[in-house]
Amino acid sequence: MDCAKAVKLIEALIDGRLPPREAAEVREHVDGCPSCGAEEESLRRVGALLRLWTSARAAEGAGLDAMWTRVAAGIEERRGERRLAAIARKWLWIPAAAALAVFTLLFYSPDGARAPFRPKSFDVSVESLESDTATLALVDKGEDLPRVIWIIEDGKS
Amino acid sequence: MASRDRKPGTLPRIAAFFAVLALAAGAATPAETPVSVELGVAVASNDGSRIDPQLANIRAKLKAMFDYTSYRMLDRRKRTLAVGETGEFGLPGGRSMRVTPVPSAANKVRLAVQIREGQRNLLTTTLGLSRGGMVLVGGPSYQNGVLILIISAD
Repeated sequence: MDCAKAVKLIEALIDGRLPPREAAEVREHVDGCPSCGAEEESLRRVGALLRLWTSARAAEGAGLDAMWTRVAAGIEERRGERRLAAIARKWLWIPAAAALAVFTLLFYSPDGARAPFRPKSFDVSVESLESDTATLALVDKGEDLPRVIWIIEDGKS
Repeated sequence: MASRDRKPGTLPRIAAFFAVLALAAGAATPAETPVSVELGVAVASNDGSRIDPQLANIRAKLKAMFDYTSYRMLDRRKRTLAVGETGEFGLPGGRSMRVTPVPSAANKVRLAVQIREGQRNLLTTTLGLSRGGMVLVGGPSYQNGVLILIISAD
């Protein structure tokens, strides 16, 4: 096999497209010919570079796909948020009103009936004390303690 | 001129008259102020040791005054009464309490109080309290304990 024929078949050899017998003949020539050997080496490098470039583009495409997926998800998420916000704006007054009603029922009383007593003073003067049917006692244990009028019902206590 | 005909000391007398009038008006105003009367009805007993949360602020006072372990609020009402107006509060056990604010000095409240059991007069008293003051009336039996009436006025 001469160099001209071998050079034409080197690419097919690299790609594995030659029948085994022809491939063996080309291989034998390339291995023994420095010029064709250099050509084969050059074609193999170009092939490797092409594969690298192709895989890089493929990875880039996958990255774009992933990015688009994220963008689409973000758009959908924002749409969802807007929908929720609209629903909240429309119906939020119901739980708010319910909470206010519960709070009012629990803590508001028109006469302050649930609040603890908060006396400002125990200073009391008793001007008169009378009873038709009971004995009365005025208990005074000092300014810090409340004055007590104690009714002792006759025959009861 | 007319001023020359005025007797000496006329102006001070007129000023004094108006001053007395102003003082009288000032003194009369508080007496006309409506009085907010609050009545708390509690039953004190030795059944258990629960003290109603409404009595939390006077818990120590009650323990210092009485020998009961349990204080339970039965009722609590508030009425605003004009001076001379009588308010009636129903009490447990067929009893009732009538309260009438009577004229008082500034920052004071005077209450005419009557407690009845049917036709029987249990108590007739007149109390003088500071505004926001409190007095207790107790003793009438109820269930396993006694009634304690917590009367305050503002």
